[in-house]
Amino acid sequence: MKRNKLKRYILIYLASAVFLTVFIGPFLWLVSSSFQMENQLFKVPPVWFPNPVSTESYREIFMGAIYDESYVSVYGKSSSYQARIYLRSFLNSLIIALSVSFFSVLFGAYAAYPIARMDFKGKYFLLFSILVVRLVPALALAIPIVLFAKKMGMNDRLITLIFINMSFVLPYVIWLLQAYFKTIPSELEDAGRIDGCSRFQVLNKIILPLSLPGLVTTGILAFLLSWGEFLFALLITETEKSFTSTVVAAMFATMVGDINYVTIIAAGVLAVIPPVLFALFFQKYIMSGLLSGAVKN
Amino acid sequence: MSRSTMIILKNKEISPGKLALIFSAPALFVLTVTVLIPIIYAVYLSLYRYKLKRAKKPFVGLQNYEKILTDEKFWDSLTTSLIFAVSVVGVIITVSFFLALLLDQDFPGRGWLRALLLIPWAIPDVVNALLWKWLLHPTFGVMNALFSMGGLIDEYVAWLSSMPSAMIWVVIAYSWKNIPLATLLILAGLQTVSKTLHEAAMVEGASAWQRTLNITLPLLRPTLTVVLIFETIFALKVFDLIYVLTSGGPGRSTAVLGWSIYINTFKKLDFGSGSALAMILGLITLFLAIFFYSFLDRGERQ
Repeated sequence: MKRNKLKRYILIYLASAVFLTVFIGPFLWLVSSSFQMENQLFKVPPVWFPNPVSTESYREIFMGAIYDESYVSVYGKSSSYQARIYLRSFLNSLIIALSVSFFSVLFGAYAAYPIARMDFKGKYFLLFSILVVRLVPALALAIPIVLFAKKMGMNDRLITLIFINMSFVLPYVIWLLQAYFKTIPSELEDAGRIDGCSRFQVLNKIILPLSLPGLVTTGILAFLLSWGEFLFALLITETEKSFTSTVVAAMFATMVGDINYVTIIAAGVLAVIPPVLFALFFQKYIMSGLLSGAVKN
Repeated sequence: MSRSTMIILKNKEISPGKLALIFSAPALFVLTVTVLIPIIYAVYLSLYRYKLKRAKKPFVGLQNYEKILTDEKFWDSLTTSLIFAVSVVGVIITVSFFLALLLDQDFPGRGWLRALLLIPWAIPDVVNALLWKWLLHPTFGVMNALFSMGGLIDEYVAWLSSMPSAMIWVVIAYSWKNIPLATLLILAGLQTVSKTLHEAAMVEGASAWQRTLNITLPLLRPTLTVVLIFETIFALKVFDLIYVLTSGGPGRSTAVLGWSIYINTFKKLDFGSGSALAMILGLITLFLAIFFYSFLDRGERQ
């Protein structure tokens, strides 16, 4: 029996090691590459651990943003356009993702409450249509939205992207929040109602404060969902005023010619930091959120 | 406070339907402007010859659709999309199933493994593409180094510029990012499979493999079907990865439907036929969803 147990553990850890290598290895290689000198990157066989650790790639991005075109990196190449605008695009992405999560949780909470707590005609139709929204291919919506945005002078603006991203995030948020509201005992609400609170007051003064953990979790998920959005960012943005980090990262990746590979890689690593940190810190909440969102439908 | 006062309080209020409408008004407004109106407008556009460069935009009925359905390029990209979707869904479900079986075991460090697996999921599609482009670089890519060190290739390969390797790597890159979420879904399904059945089968002398095949797999069927539906629908929508990794190439060999819509609409500026193509993609998705859903429904009733 003991030998069997040992055999089982060996098998489990062997399998774990294989899966870890496959799923984390590529990511670690990206991080490791970003700290290497360009000439190390091109070595065969590859240098697995940067030695010495070089922060040149990150310096190009940060200094390039500050000094503009005058910054020349150690390779003698002046910093590329992409490197100079990258930090700004990163900031744009942050503004978009934070606004999307704030407003979609705010709007989503008010929409979720009646679904969770009240009976009304058309409730299931409402719930169903909210779910169907998630199935519509973004490309089908992109054509009319881009035409509208151009006609109304709304292209190349962050606010347009915030608004569009909410359409992907809201169905998710509403679904998660109505499930969360159902877990709050209705006695608390009844007590408030007897004291003469209106539905609006009950929601603001009782339900929302009690749902804070659920609101935060949903907000984080909303952030993760909108942070990596690419298609609409590509179509709506035109200048560095509104480029998002995914757009600039794609510009890096599809660029040809004389480029600093390390800078491209560093840009990729930077773009991954916010979502990966969120995912690792809040993994328990995210997992339960993702599961309740998907399993129930 | 008596019941009658409660009733009076309730009567003073507006009806639940109206209240629900008021409460969901901001969300409904956003969804109407960004989803409902665009869909209607896309249908309208698809019935017109709508090219940005031309002043005249005449109504042409179903001509855009007719043109697409008789165009060989459409059938090519539909085939490419289907090949991509079938491969991706096959890889994702198979790997996720085994990974979920592993994570369902009880062992020290399981929590860490689960948490770390969220990393590929959290990486944006564009960065995922950038990562794989770097791994597959024809001269500096680590894949070339590893494969030649392992004696699998004699000289470095430009993976993304020839077929079928371009398609294979696109499938791998896509699956790599999407396996973690599928694994979590299957894991949630596994945890509903009762342990007593397994114990009974163990007493009967069934091997672990037999138990997996005859107990776990049938009980997991609803979960697997749900994952299959979602993964298929998402795989048919793929765009970001193709844009960065291959731009539809080499030639048109990875030009999936999403890529064709993008090129038709935003490069050739033919909004009419682009909309028609997008409508066709939407309809295919809808039919698949209904088809799978009825399949799932029947499975559950049995």
